[in-house]
Amino acid sequence: MKLLTANRLTDGLVLWYRDGDDLNGWTENAADAARLDDEAATALLDVWKARETLLVAPYLVPLVDDNTLVKREYVREFVRANGPTIGQTALDTAKLQNRGEVF
Amino acid sequence: MYVYDQFDHAVVAARNAEFKDQVARRLAGELSEDQFKPLRLMNGLYLQLHAYMLRIAVPYGVLSSAQMRTFAHIARTYDRDFGHFTTRQNIQFNWIKLADTPQILEDLARVEMHAIQTSGNCIRNTTTDQFAGAAKDEIDDPRPWAELIRQWSTFHPEFTFLPRKFKIAITGATRDRAAIRVHDIGLQLTANGFDVYVGGGMGRTPHLGHLIKSGVPGEKLLSYLEAALRVYNRYGRRDNIYKARIKILVSALGPQEYARQVEEEWASLDQAKIDAPYAEIARIKSFFPEPDYTSKAFDAAALERAKAADPGFARWVRNNTLAHRRYDHVSVTISLKPTGLPPGDASSEQMDVMADVADDYGYAELRVSHEQNVILPHVAKADLYDLYQRLDKTGLSSANVGKITDMIACPGLDYCSLANARSIPLAQDISKRFEDAGYTDKIGDLQIKISGCINACGHHHVGHIGILGVDKQGEEFYQILLGGRADEKAALATITGKGMPAEAVPAAIERVVNLYLELRTDASERFIDTVGRLGREAFAGALHEPA
Repeated sequence: MKLLTANRLTDGLVLWYRDGDDLNGWTENAADAARLDDEAATALLDVWKARETLLVAPYLVPLVDDNTLVKREYVREFVRANGPTIGQTALDTAKLQNRGEVF
Repeated sequence: MYVYDQFDHAVVAARNAEFKDQVARRLAGELSEDQFKPLRLMNGLYLQLHAYMLRIAVPYGVLSSAQMRTFAHIARTYDRDFGHFTTRQNIQFNWIKLADTPQILEDLARVEMHAIQTSGNCIRNTTTDQFAGAAKDEIDDPRPWAELIRQWSTFHPEFTFLPRKFKIAITGATRDRAAIRVHDIGLQLTANGFDVYVGGGMGRTPHLGHLIKSGVPGEKLLSYLEAALRVYNRYGRRDNIYKARIKILVSALGPQEYARQVEEEWASLDQAKIDAPYAEIARIKSFFPEPDYTSKAFDAAALERAKAADPGFARWVRNNTLAHRRYDHVSVTISLKPTGLPPGDASSEQMDVMADVADDYGYAELRVSHEQNVILPHVAKADLYDLYQRLDKTGLSSANVGKITDMIACPGLDYCSLANARSIPLAQDISKRFEDAGYTDKIGDLQIKISGCINACGHHHVGHIGILGVDKQGEEFYQILLGGRADEKAALATITGKGMPAEAVPAAIERVVNLYLELRTDASERFIDTVGRLGREAFAGALHEPA
């Protein structure tokens, strides 16, 4: 099980693949990311790697199950998903955007 | 203050136009990311965890009020209303949009700034003493020499693709506030010219620089630097990024052999073609005149009355001001380390206030320190209380300079794509633990330096207490180091034992601090001196005791 993630070319913000074949199918809300089986994830990664006008550096994040990150990925991906964990921009930012905490 | 000539303006304008075209081509899909990445990095634009980050060079940490106001404008207009002052006397904006970058660079060019050579394997921003031109213990002003090096190193064709990045620091005072021994080249300005230290650095293999030459005359500085860089450029390792810095080469050859090769290279150079003529050095020196000091009547008794009436002000004067070469002035450090907030961050409002008070009380001049604070180098003592009150209204009056809460911390894993662990939340926790001003003042001078990975942007190797964040299979752990210092008695800190989770660190530091308070001879013996007298092992046990 994997998530597909990347940064948006225009502003660098973190995106997660949900569905579809254009940028509308990507979301800033990691909680809405598609949980992909390994084979589908690899195929999608190849597709999106070729679409560099929209995204930068797509890659796969491994999951243990639907909602649990593989441990070695945890801190980095938690921060990517929720925003900086500090007061000034921090989780407040995520909450302001109704993203809440994910993972 | 440096002044752009027509060449500077033309070069920066041409580079900005070039980058504007490159951004347009990237957005149009005409450039791949592989093609574009080195181009954006050469213009200071990184892609970090959450967004693009723009690193702007602050030449040797010197800023005008107009430049600070431009930072406020960038923070407000293009970013999330704040910026981060770095350990290299630069500023970083963390939430920049790619399409906005050309306009930001144009805004910067209007105040004679850019983001060139803030990335890549070139000579980076030369850093220096934040009190240059003001400090009482200064032998000579390092800023003209830093400017000379800036002009020489900008777009130097031979040194644009070095084996690895290259950092030069200069101090002109007896007390080293520029950390010259942990730079690739450190320059100590003396009455007899420059003492040149080579091969210092932090990162995964820290080294202190070695003195390879004393008394290089100022008018020969550039050719000597060129020779030193040439030897490195020729023999520095390009096959292994972890062994590519000059410190590894100097260590492998030995400082004496490195010095010999530099001498040989220096002798072979056509020095007259490289070194700046006297007239050019004099022209550059003319950029840094003494301010036109105001002769405000200074009433010492009134200052004492204000301190007596306002203990917060008294503490701020005690901790945040430094003796100036003029009896009626001081240098003021504006601490960017308020309790519980990220070290080095300032909001756009705070930047505007710092620009305003620089205009009103500081001859329109500011500095950025590698300790991530902002300095007003020249303030009349008569203005101190007014200044303090203005700063206090905007959260800029923290009176903790040099104290345990005046921490250096890199952005860490909250922003940086290279980091293994977070730095800022840990710094926030430590600052909350030590927020009691009486306790902090009792502890006295103590430098904590936190890095979120082995690259050591947070200078943990030279912290009195250094903290290194590491990743252990998805969990953050922090190794504690003791006994480092970056001053004229530079020493590298050593790791004390196993890493610990973030929540254990503040208590561990408090145990060490309390042990120091027990063991010091008296209040005049600083933490680092007690560690030096008793040995680091005397404190390591306290760090790792169970809470």
